[in-house]
Amino acid sequence: MDNSICQVYEDEIQSLEEEIKLLAEKYEESQQESTFFSDEEILMSIKSFQREFQGQSKGHESPSDLKAQLESLETDLSFLMKFTGIQFTSHSKRTVEKTTNRTVRKHRLSGNCHSLSFQLEFQLLEMQNKETVSAVITDLSIIMESGEDSDVSKFVSSTEEHGNLLTFFRSLSSYAEWYEHRRCTFLHFK
Amino acid sequence: GVFTHLEMLEARAHEAAVKQEETEQQEEKLARLKARVQELRLQRDELRAKVDLQQKGQLGKEGVVSDPAQPSARTVLEWKIKSVKAMLQVFYLTGISGKLTKRGVCFCISTAYEGTYLDSYHLDLLTKAEVQIHRHSVPIFIPLEQIAKKYLQTDIRRFLSVLSDHLNAYAGRRYQADQLQGRFSNRIEGTLQRNSLCNLLVFNYNVSSKSKTFPFNARLLYGDLCCSLPTEVTVSCTPDAPASLAEMAAAHSDLFRRVALHKAFCSFSSAEESVD
Repeated sequence: MDNSICQVYEDEIQSLEEEIKLLAEKYEESQQESTFFSDEEILMSIKSFQREFQGQSKGHESPSDLKAQLESLETDLSFLMKFTGIQFTSHSKRTVEKTTNRTVRKHRLSGNCHSLSFQLEFQLLEMQNKETVSAVITDLSIIMESGEDSDVSKFVSSTEEHGNLLTFFRSLSSYAEWYEHRRCTFLHFK
Repeated sequence: GVFTHLEMLEARAHEAAVKQEETEQQEEKLARLKARVQELRLQRDELRAKVDLQQKGQLGKEGVVSDPAQPSARTVLEWKIKSVKAMLQVFYLTGISGKLTKRGVCFCISTAYEGTYLDSYHLDLLTKAEVQIHRHSVPIFIPLEQIAKKYLQTDIRRFLSVLSDHLNAYAGRRYQADQLQGRFSNRIEGTLQRNSLCNLLVFNYNVSSKSKTFPFNARLLYGDLCCSLPTEVTVSCTPDAPASLAEMAAAHSDLFRRVALHKAFCSFSSAEESVD
């Protein structure tokens, strides 16, 4: 009899621990998503951080670690933007649903590829099943600057209908390169 | 005798002591677990309240909110780090992402079928001298060497783009075959035969017409490896089948050339439902 009471407590402990983990993640993500710091604020923080912790490292990451981490990430990001030609100018996300196996987030993304600018909104559903994480795009909405072009608008609506975010970017990349090439060619002949 | 009696008493006393200890241990354990549950419940309730407050604070406040309390420099930096990481993750959705390494770049090519992201493949490139593929996770039936020979040295972007076309087409073909097997297994007779590259599919399926079912055989060849639609389709029915079925087979053959496999089967199901 005692063993079953123990089991009930142990089950509740496990479920509470999971719930706590989920709530903590929710809280942190919400904080992250609703905060914004400008580039100046970030530069100032880097400087003041280094002053505050001269030589101290209390088991937290030292200021040089955080600074190095940020620099490495920013180098990777700027490399990717340069290499792919896709420059993101803003990105925001909002967690709409979060359970142990399922996370749904709404994303807003804007940027440009060479001279073509775009604005996107989509919902991303991520599901954890056993060892794999699956990702599915829904509710894709695309606004393109050169949206009046009938070819572009046909392409955009077909992409939106099927949630073809990947195809959008790959096509954008090659279209933008061609467009840029054509533009340069015209300018050359002016 | 006396000794036996004494031994018996000793044994009983020992047993009783052990039982006593067990009961005490059990009670202790129960008390500990109960305390832990109370502690966790409290923690959980506090977190819930915190999250609720957060949600309320954001309702009706579209746009950005800075932390009212003066944030520490560490907080600001950690925020920025998370923000850049999130941006890097978005690149995964574009199909080409990666990170710089000491000797070059490690690229990640992601694949997707419409809105569903599928497997991703990695290529570790060395770029110091001539460009070399150090390691990769591209399957052997993808003509990686051929593509590398053509583009790797002169145009890495083109190389990745062509490779991405192959990988995405392969992923798309495989996805369609998996969907067919998974969602329409009741229509498929026997097993769906496919090769590793998923560019040759052969299967038997059932077609109903006027409350009778007929077996059809389909052979789909995807001649263009960068395409997820077949270039050659043969749909055949049994030689003794009525003429209307031969027409149907031709229609199916045409459909499979234009429409994704699982979507074609979806349309069969709805067509049959409306007729029968």
